[in-house]
Amino acid sequence: MAQVSSADPHDSAEQAARIEKRWAIVIVGIMALLVAVTIFTGLHWAMMPPSRVETIDPSTLHVSGEFVESNLGSAVEANGSVTVRIIGQQYSFTPQCIVVPAKTPIVFRVTSADVVHGMLITGTNINSMVEPGYIATFKTEFDQPGNHLMPCHEFCGVGHEAMWANVKVVDKDVFAKMAANTRRLSCDL
Amino acid sequence: MNSERPRLISLRNPWFTASVGGTLVVLLFSMFVGFIWLPSAQNDALFKGLLDSICSAAGVPRAWLSETSPPVTPQQPVSSVVLTPEMLIGPDTRGSIGRGATLALRCTMCHGARGVSAANTPNLAGQYGPSIYKELRDFQSGARTSAVMAPMVVGLGDQDLRDLSNYYASLPRANSTSAPSAPDIVATGAPMRNIAPCGSCHGGMVNKLGAPWLSPQPRSYLKDQLEAFAQGTRHNDISAQMRNIARNMTPDEIDASVGYYAGNK
Repeated sequence: MAQVSSADPHDSAEQAARIEKRWAIVIVGIMALLVAVTIFTGLHWAMMPPSRVETIDPSTLHVSGEFVESNLGSAVEANGSVTVRIIGQQYSFTPQCIVVPAKTPIVFRVTSADVVHGMLITGTNINSMVEPGYIATFKTEFDQPGNHLMPCHEFCGVGHEAMWANVKVVDKDVFAKMAANTRRLSCDL
Repeated sequence: MNSERPRLISLRNPWFTASVGGTLVVLLFSMFVGFIWLPSAQNDALFKGLLDSICSAAGVPRAWLSETSPPVTPQQPVSSVVLTPEMLIGPDTRGSIGRGATLALRCTMCHGARGVSAANTPNLAGQYGPSIYKELRDFQSGARTSAVMAPMVVGLGDQDLRDLSNYYASLPRANSTSAPSAPDIVATGAPMRNIAPCGSCHGGMVNKLGAPWLSPQPRSYLKDQLEAFAQGTRHNDISAQMRNIARNMTPDEIDASVGYYAGNK
């Protein structure tokens, strides 16, 4: 091999350049593919890096503002959508049983009163950290009635395994009847 | 030899211009995708517009809920105490304990001369300061009701409550009678029914700020409070933290936990 390369140095330089070019094309191709995947998931699955940043003082949630105890749960808004406010704390969600209507735009607003918790609604793509100091906001819509488990999926302390809530999706009419009597709904006992 | 080779970082080097130029193009395109194109595709008015989409994607904090019905105000008074780990640490803790000891003369009738009660009232000796302070403030605000305690805290200022809390926290705890092994509800809770172990907040395993030390407390007091939480007649726990647990407990679990923490009291 040494003989070949020393015999014609010019030729081997050209060969190296050819290989470099191919290598560059492959790398550019991989980068283009990654960007394309990002664009596809962003446009068609509405995936997005966490970007709805909103801050709140975790020590005064219960004193004033939208996360006071009497304001937690599901609220019917003027435009027909439903806003659900939830607090995660060691070691429960409040409310523990969340009731929402099917086929209705829903906005979840979740925050933590102490440490980092997690929130995952099974059977949906809602999956987020719940951090003290920040409000997590998601918009979603449930297609049909049913029950979904909502466990805390960030280890939050020794009682972590007991921390979960229920999300009960009911028919629009049933929800409207429940909402007639009260301004904030939950299915807590 | 070296002087004859073309310089690496130079616009005349086609490899350099192509690779750096290409990287720049990819960077600019990716920034366009990440800061403008994808945010604008979100179904959210706050992402629309060039500046909005760039700021939102970059994570500038803002209010994300524009139109919403006003918050529902509580029907009954709830706790408004702000709990932080340093809440009782002042410039003069020793002085505070001394003043608290004098103030505590009015408490001795029920809570014992040194915070260890002979009646069915809570033992305060060695209780966590923030827990005492929180309950005193809640008695004052009416968030926690008690015909006995309400008149006792009338006229006490915020510093008085801090002094009392520091004083009782400084006293030595009553000797806990050799505790039997913890029942399941205390050691492991009942995770399938949303019940964290008692020990995960009330000491034993971990102490959570604002949660009281329970061992030993009088049996009847513990049982009354747990049942009051379960029925919602006591509601000064912040964001229903204790009610969430208590209402899921069975009568047997209430008895087991009360029996454990009460010892022979």
